[in-house]
Amino acid sequence: MSAAATTHDHSHGADHAHDHHEPGFFGKYIFSCDHKVIGVQYGMSGLLFLLLGFFLMLLMRWSIAFPGQAVPGLEFVQSIPLIGPLFHEAIGRWAPGGVVNGELYNMLGAMHGTIMVFLGIVPLGFAGFVNYVMPLQIGTIDMAFPKLNMWSFWLFFVSGVLMLASFFVGTGAVQTGWTMYSPLASTTNMAVTNIWMHGHTWWLTAMVFNISASLLGSVNVITTVINLRAKGMTWMRMPFFCWAMFVTSFLLLLAFPPLEVAALLQLVDRVFGASFFLPSGLMEGGQHLDISGGGSPLLYQHLFWFLAHPEVYVLILPAFAILAEVIPANTRRPLWGYKSMVYAALTLGFLSFLVWAHHMYLTGMGTMMSTYFQITTVLISVPSVILLTGLMISLWGGSIRFNPQMLFASAFLPMFGIGGLTGLPLAFTFIDLALHDTYYVIGHFHYVVAPGTIFALFAGVYHWYPKITGRTMNDFLGKLHFWPSLLGMNLIFAPMFIQGMGGFHRRWYDGGKYFEQTSGASNWITELSSNIFGLFGMDVPNSLLGLNVLMSVGAFILALGQVPFILNVFLSIKGGKKITSDNPWGCTTLEWATPTPPPHGNFTFEPVAVRGPYEYSVPGCSQDFLPQWETEPGKAATAPASTPAPAAHH
Amino acid sequence: MADSPEEIYKSIKKIKIVGLLLGVFTIATVLLSFWELPTHSLNILVGMILATFKAGLVALIFMHLNHESKMIYKILAFTIALAFALFFLFVFSAHDPLVFSGLYDSNQ
Amino acid sequence: MDIPYTVTARPDTGLYNAKVGIWLFLASEVMLFGGLFSSYIFLRVGADYHWPVHELNVTLGFVNTLVLIFSSVTVLLAWANLKLRKIGQFKMYLAITILCALTFMVIKSFEYRAKFSHYAVKLTDGTFLTGHLEDGYEIKFGEASKFTLTIYAQNSGIKADPVNYVLPLIEGEAPKFKTEAGDEITLTKATFQELQKDALVKAEKAGKSTGTIKLTALTPVTIHAKPSKILNYTDTTISFLDGTVAEGKLLDDKMTLTVDGVDARSVPDAENSLAWNNHYLGESWKKAFIANRDHAEEEFKTKYPSRDPLKSATHQKEAYYLHIESSTPPAAEGEAHGEGHKAEAKMEEHSEAHAEHSGHGPKVTLEKKDIAFWSNYTPKLNTYYAIYFTLTGLHGLHVVGGAIVLTYFLLFDGKMLREDPERLANRVEVGGLFWHFVDLVWIFLFPLLYLL
Ligand code: HEM
Ligand SMILES: [Cu+2]
Repeated sequence: MSAAATTHDHSHGADHAHDHHEPGFFGKYIFSCDHKVIGVQYGMSGLLFLLLGFFLMLLMRWSIAFPGQAVPGLEFVQSIPLIGPLFHEAIGRWAPGGVVNGELYNMLGAMHGTIMVFLGIVPLGFAGFVNYVMPLQIGTIDMAFPKLNMWSFWLFFVSGVLMLASFFVGTGAVQTGWTMYSPLASTTNMAVTNIWMHGHTWWLTAMVFNISASLLGSVNVITTVINLRAKGMTWMRMPFFCWAMFVTSFLLLLAFPPLEVAALLQLVDRVFGASFFLPSGLMEGGQHLDISGGGSPLLYQHLFWFLAHPEVYVLILPAFAILAEVIPANTRRPLWGYKSMVYAALTLGFLSFLVWAHHMYLTGMGTMMSTYFQITTVLISVPSVILLTGLMISLWGGSIRFNPQMLFASAFLPMFGIGGLTGLPLAFTFIDLALHDTYYVIGHFHYVVAPGTIFALFAGVYHWYPKITGRTMNDFLGKLHFWPSLLGMNLIFAPMFIQGMGGFHRRWYDGGKYFEQTSGASNWITELSSNIFGLFGMDVPNSLLGLNVLMSVGAFILALGQVPFILNVFLSIKGGKKITSDNPWGCTTLEWATPTPPPHGNFTFEPVAVRGPYEYSVPGCSQDFLPQWETEPGKAATAPASTPAPAAHH
Repeated sequence: MADSPEEIYKSIKKIKIVGLLLGVFTIATVLLSFWELPTHSLNILVGMILATFKAGLVALIFMHLNHESKMIYKILAFTIALAFALFFLFVFSAHDPLVFSGLYDSNQ
Repeated sequence: MDIPYTVTARPDTGLYNAKVGIWLFLASEVMLFGGLFSSYIFLRVGADYHWPVHELNVTLGFVNTLVLIFSSVTVLLAWANLKLRKIGQFKMYLAITILCALTFMVIKSFEYRAKFSHYAVKLTDGTFLTGHLEDGYEIKFGEASKFTLTIYAQNSGIKADPVNYVLPLIEGEAPKFKTEAGDEITLTKATFQELQKDALVKAEKAGKSTGTIKLTALTPVTIHAKPSKILNYTDTTISFLDGTVAEGKLLDDKMTLTVDGVDARSVPDAENSLAWNNHYLGESWKKAFIANRDHAEEEFKTKYPSRDPLKSATHQKEAYYLHIESSTPPAAEGEAHGEGHKAEAKMEEHSEAHAEHSGHGPKVTLEKKDIAFWSNYTPKLNTYYAIYFTLTGLHGLHVVGGAIVLTYFLLFDGKMLREDPERLANRVEVGGLFWHFVDLVWIFLFPLLYLL
């Protein structure tokens, strides 16, 4: 451990002395500054929030499929001591007799979106993986600012707690969608005893914390990548994982502040009565509001989507990052087109800032600007396709190991493909006029993030689990996790395209029951699903409405599919197969050069990168992989004293 | 970075001069704002040019961006480009420049 | 085990870690203020009212600009002296910088305070009357004896809490109340809780999720409430923030404003503005207004013969925004009103602070039906003040944050100063970069908000 430090310059700062004594339990596991502990903390909280968001979704799906019927078990849960009253305060009080009411449905929708995006996928996919893996992959001992790293996690934690706690305040959680569009979000639910004790206020405050956390995190990641790469780790020898995370960090760093502005301005609107997002003459319930007016709801949408479009790439780039490691390792083939993928990721990052208003085609934009946004939106699919193609071609001619991580990785490819291709039509104003705010859009982005990103995250968990715990996860349980998940995901999201094209609005809380004109249509798919349910003795109407039941069944299958995963994660810590090598999958990147699990300080020798990151099946080599840190199989490279520092630019 | 004592003494002098310049330009900005140009937009333009000049002094001399590493320039150039995207695209989306220019008649 | 490149620069990038970090942070700050500035642009371009120009106190803003510039110089001098190891000088300059930050915030707080106590009232025809509410503004509601409280079985956004939200608004001693059951009680936390429990039991029996408590005051009470303390009111009912509703009679909701300005820019026919109503400002002020307008128009014509007065915002303001500094109109002095402190008012006419402070302007009593909207000079007044307070408030937070960091370097980094001054110099440099950025933001804020 200290060997790694010898060649680094010494700072004889005040921290020097106390860095060396062993931290206690709290310092080691709770308020740790170690990037690996923080990575695991982020990852576990991310998983927890994903589970929670998933649970909220299940309640929604029930009330869509069976509006007006009591959710089974909801009453029962409330009768459990200790948990019951808490659950009642958060959810139960809005579901008299177990029936989800409109308010609760709105809360569930808004909080599902928020939790999944800001508290689930980003913390797990970005913060968790990047913290654990990136410093190892570039061969350094920790992040550039370990203390800030700890702060980042705890700020995130506070934001999570505030977000959850907002269910418990008198008004309940926010009800205005994860997009929080003003003017509705600026003016609803204002009659309260104390505006500070309001779910909406807490949401906005939580977002401010969340944004600060991701700000600290991204500053840390970028600095680490720029300044702490090991000897020989030139930019173009950096694994694609680090590149993708590097780009993601820039998106977080520069796109989040405008959202912070949006949250702050909305807070000022709500708490101090300003009119940033409220136009003149706004009326509600036949009454002029007590506001000055003069603001604009469009301003909110611009600020929001300026973040939220880059945010969708924050959700997808970590997925590509993970797959770029998992796929070569399991096909035993180099990543196809490493260089073009790097450039594609950079282009994607840049372009993602310039397309946001494709979410706003219906706001009456002028011709010139909507043309501009259509062009950039179509342009951005080019780098996306390059990334996907690179991964797909990497499969070609490989001897593929179908372990769970590879199953998830290979399922990602077509699923993301569907998500991306269904996005293209939305890029054109004349099609979007019809599809905006329908289930089609919901289907589009869920194909990208759910069977897309989330599958990639599962792949990442299976892939790096042995490095963290020293044991592999169970193969059989892994497969039992994969197949129901794949089935469930498609059952939920594929029918959304059909419903969406039929005109189903995305926020109908009864799933369209009271919109018979649109929801009554039928086609062969609805007939098929109705007939299949008939076989089980269920009376499901042969109409678009009937698909709701199919989708909800899919959701419950998906839920069951997660049980093996949860068991697997926990049971394998003690019960998994012990790995015999520090590099169980035979990988080439530096994280596998460390002891298992990596100690504080990571490396037992000073790593030097002598080649590119994906040297699999090199002709003439005695084994099918050549690690970055070895000059020849089994022999770690050492840095000659005169090794020139790695070049700054490729 | 000015590191040797002579260089530091030199830079101290420079800093003081720039500080004075900033003060002078502030006075100029205030005075100019009371002088009515043909349109108020022109006033804004002049004011912003002065402010940008002052900001440039602060950034280049005080924050020594006049000799900084390439990496920082790249990051900042990217950021500034995005900030400008914010400034203009927001407004253009609400007030389409094509309509303003008269090239396109939205009522047709 | 140490993180590399905390003190010296990495050879190939030429940067130490903290330098990369701070620039990234500043890049993010650029986007934060970029978002705010673009909001400013968006709001200003789309504003449907007269965007205020030169309405803030330019002198104070100017002084603050100089203070910040000066502090930017001193923080650099502190760093340079630390590099030269002149510790005493270093400490002195750092202390001066922190003092500047304090000065800045103190000046700022004076500016804010003046705004908070200044009001603008929009009449239904679009005229704005500005001025001070010297006696405050309260709604007087009398003969209230019946109180209805709603109790929710569930946790909810509105909770009946009469002890905190109703009793303090009652004039004089709180009376005894009679409950539905006929008991006479004084309302306290304990008695209210009793009532609440009973009401809930009753509600549950009836299968309802809300219960009500009806209280009758033994002696009818009068209520004085600031508008922020109630939800709404009608001629016969008033509902408090906690949802409690009282029945009675509205006594008075007139507003007495000491006027210091009439802004008739948004009125189609300024000569017939509501403000000149006889029971408001009256004919003589109207004459003063017209004289002022004609004078301004004359002047504009001679000064800029080729320009269109309708397009000059400055001219519009000079012609249609009458500032009032004495209780009687300049032309009409002596003939009207005959108020006691006329001479006094004249004497103070030229003092600068006059308009900012309390008025000797005419007092008008506005009827509620003529008021379309009113607010003090806070974010609520219009989008200009909203963005002004948000921008400067956030900037102020940055000043405070920067000052705290610098204070930390000054007071608590003594050990590093002795053992590793080079590292402290790096810290001061990084702190300084942040400080310059704060200065840089102000350089744009000052002209945009104060001058243009
Ligand atoms: C590959 C090219 C893509 C294109 C052309 C595209 C296009 C679009 C368009 C035009 C919309 C707006 C639809 C509407 O509201 O009417 C949209 C919505 C959305 N997209 Fe994509 N998209 C693409 C990829 C992605 C990716 C990779 C993700 C996420 C990882 C994503 C996530 C979303 C989300 C979350 C929404 C909806 C947000 C909301 O309204 O709540 N998209 N997409
Ligand atoms: Cu988008």
